[in-house]
Amino acid sequence: MRRPVRSILLPLLAAFAAGIAAIAAPAAAQTAPPTALVSTPQVRAELVAHAPAGVAPGQPLALGLKIEHQPHWHTYWKNPGDSGLPTTLAWTLPAGFTPGEIEWPTPKKLPIGPLMNYGYEGTVLLPVTVQVPAGFAGDTLAVKLRADWLVCKDVCIPEGGDFALEIPARASTAAHAGLFAAARAALPQPVAGAVASAAVEGEALVVRIAGLPEAWRGKTLDFFPETNGVLHNAGKPKASWESGAGGVWNARLALDPQRTAGPAQMPGVLTAPGQAAGLQVLVNVTTPWPALPATPAALPALGSGSVSTPVAPPAADIGLAMALVLALVGGMLLNLMPCVFPVLALKLFGFAQYGSERGKLLASGLAYTAGVVLSFVALAALLLALRAGGEQLGWGFQLQSPGFVAALAVLFTLIGLNLAGVFELTAMLPGRWLAARARHPVADSLLTGVLAVAVASPCTAPFMGASLGLAVTLPATQALAVFAALGLGMALPYLVASAWPALAAKLPRPGPWMAHFRALMAFPMFATVVWLTWVLGQQVGIDGAAALLGLLVAVAFAAWAIGSPTLGTLARRGFGAASLLLVAAALVWAMPALRQEAVARVTSVEERWQPWSGERVAQALAAGQPVFVDFTAAWCVTCQFNKRTTLHTDEVAKAFDDKRVLLLRADWTRRDAAISAELARLNRSGVPVYALYAPGAAGPTLLGEILSVGEIKSALAALPNPEKSR
Amino acid sequence: MKRLLPALLLLFTAGLAAAATVGQPAPAFTATDVSGKTVSLADFKGKHVVLEWVNPGCPFVVKHYGAGNMQATQKDAVAKGVVWLAVNSTAADHGDYRKPAEMAAWMQGHQAAATHTLMDADGKVGRAYGARTTPHMYVIDPKGTLVYAGAIDSKPTANPADIAGATNHVKQALAEATTGKPVSVAQTRPYGCSVKYSSM
Repeated sequence: MRRPVRSILLPLLAAFAAGIAAIAAPAAAQTAPPTALVSTPQVRAELVAHAPAGVAPGQPLALGLKIEHQPHWHTYWKNPGDSGLPTTLAWTLPAGFTPGEIEWPTPKKLPIGPLMNYGYEGTVLLPVTVQVPAGFAGDTLAVKLRADWLVCKDVCIPEGGDFALEIPARASTAAHAGLFAAARAALPQPVAGAVASAAVEGEALVVRIAGLPEAWRGKTLDFFPETNGVLHNAGKPKASWESGAGGVWNARLALDPQRTAGPAQMPGVLTAPGQAAGLQVLVNVTTPWPALPATPAALPALGSGSVSTPVAPPAADIGLAMALVLALVGGMLLNLMPCVFPVLALKLFGFAQYGSERGKLLASGLAYTAGVVLSFVALAALLLALRAGGEQLGWGFQLQSPGFVAALAVLFTLIGLNLAGVFELTAMLPGRWLAARARHPVADSLLTGVLAVAVASPCTAPFMGASLGLAVTLPATQALAVFAALGLGMALPYLVASAWPALAAKLPRPGPWMAHFRALMAFPMFATVVWLTWVLGQQVGIDGAAALLGLLVAVAFAAWAIGSPTLGTLARRGFGAASLLLVAAALVWAMPALRQEAVARVTSVEERWQPWSGERVAQALAAGQPVFVDFTAAWCVTCQFNKRTTLHTDEVAKAFDDKRVLLLRADWTRRDAAISAELARLNRSGVPVYALYAPGAAGPTLLGEILSVGEIKSALAALPNPEKSR
Repeated sequence: MKRLLPALLLLFTAGLAAAATVGQPAPAFTATDVSGKTVSLADFKGKHVVLEWVNPGCPFVVKHYGAGNMQATQKDAVAKGVVWLAVNSTAADHGDYRKPAEMAAWMQGHQAAATHTLMDADGKVGRAYGARTTPHMYVIDPKGTLVYAGAIDSKPTANPADIAGATNHVKQALAEATTGKPVSVAQTRPYGCSVKYSSM
């Protein structure tokens, strides 16, 4: 069986690799004779530097583009508002010098008729901080810059220029010290202790920001969203200050009627009259966004990027065809994930049973495939329908329901007891049914397929993350095609095996060994029940887990009383009636415990792992600390596997400590809209997802679904050393 | 699961909002074209309609007309039986304003294939659609529902060289809409100069 699987996997993997290689295409750039100064009738733009202690490792080095606008002309902020474009800076520096993002000064509102733009008039400096490499010992630093800006009054003119500057490395460059100091003073400041949250209410975003500084209280504030396409830019906030000492500002911000985004977090800048620098706030949107009419805009990130736009992992840009191939491969690999082991056991038994009859083997292979594909499509359709209704859900969502987990545990207990021989269906069903069942293994196989999907969803295989992440943003028919491909991939090994004449010949003949094998297969089923009980315990606490175990005992007793082949008729009737009463009683007793929320979430988050929130990520990044986020769930077997083999090893812990990485855990065991929204932002729809955020980077780096120590270490190696953090 | 069912119902009831919103009926309007003819959106019921906000004084408009991209998109649309309405909402007192005859000559000189070029100097049509930039593009389906609103393409720059590598959202939306498929990218952020509205 292994041989046919491998012979299909290899060409598919080759095709996948070829596709990846074909994706990235370099862009050409143009050059012109460079100077430090470019003048147009509208602006005077100059490349300036600030290196008061020369250019040396560990010494501050800042570069910037100074733009002096003619009166009434303006250029734009990182979010330009209703029209316009942000200024872009593309640096060419010697190897090892790394320029940061533009440190945008606090912008102004620039109304134009019914429209609103965000930008700068007069003189503005767009500075960047540059890291000098450790070994630098040159005499001069040659800097080249390509800058493009759109300058507007009541008409707009796109302009740009190539700049060049030589900075002496051994002498002080401080001619523009005042300009750089002014830009720093105009940089929006983070507010320690400020808490900003928002809820979507109809056509408005209702924002509440607490903990604002004394000097700001009572003033008329303006909010500048960094995220474009969410708020009605020209709308005036309907704002008020709460009385009391909390410094709480409440505002109703109108939503853009042609909204193109629904972010879980909205970074923004608050301004007040008389304050040169705005305040940096990160607004957590706590309610789900109403569904957008269709796919969110696939516009590339504007400007040089902001914290709010994660760098899409390369695999997220995959097209539909690639998503289908990835889903097929992911589906096949799903068979190697631990979730599917118990169902594999059932399949093996099926093979042994029908091994000698080729026709039945093939029919059962086809039925299994149909069962798997249909249940994937059905589950996906439900997921898409619920998401369209505004639910924040993702892959594996059914396991976030304690009732579903409990039902699955009961089902696996019954299968285990049946395999162990505690009860036989022959003793329970009328003979006619049994005869039909013996003749048609098809129904059995179909149901095995359904079961396989039900338990496979907590596992995410490599390649699945990207294709499922894409699938949920596609139109429904294409999305369902991706899920169908996933199912086909999962069933393919069996389909091939059941159609393989050589394999059928190799199977041992039926005999007494089959009874032993059958009993042996009961144990993987019981192991599954242990896992499901643990998941339920995570969801509803120890009382719920005990209630489930009680229910399982009652069900097991009923199965024995009604279905044991060795029990006489009278005993069966007596015990049977008693057992049904017992099951009913157990249900009544267990129900409330299964429904309740876990009182104290027993998530044993170790000291070093702290609960995730978008705010914590932003705060740490603002302080220059890298962040690693583990998106996980108790029911996600792949997650538990990674935790044991990689995340919780001493080697990885030391690697994290060396770079002072803040470790956050986003636990998706129960439904959590904020985590679902964050996953969607990362182009994923299920767990595990591992994200490494570096300060100053445009977005997180996503690691593979199956983690390895080497992968984490190489990702961490790209981070700057903590001593040099600014 | 019980709690999820109301969400499903929401899906069917979320259909009450004003202004030009994708998935909602497109606002009706009547305007005069450059030859003085009165044109109403209602005239084109049963056909796909494209609205294009245009201003010859805007470098982003010049980017797409100079490179022939806008005209090619228009020809492609008209060949599919789509009605193309170019709308100029520049106020009469703005430096970019062109009289109807001048506007007609400019369109003709660029070999534009728009069905009509509409004068909207008072900005009524522009404001009803929330048009912000030139160009700002809208696609309306035969039932009068707005199915696309946003940019002409996926590269928000003024550089004509970027047209080649960009996805033309209007072409894509029309290709999908005219073959009965749902529009996969139905809303994007428009880019360009601001529409030079009258101050009334």
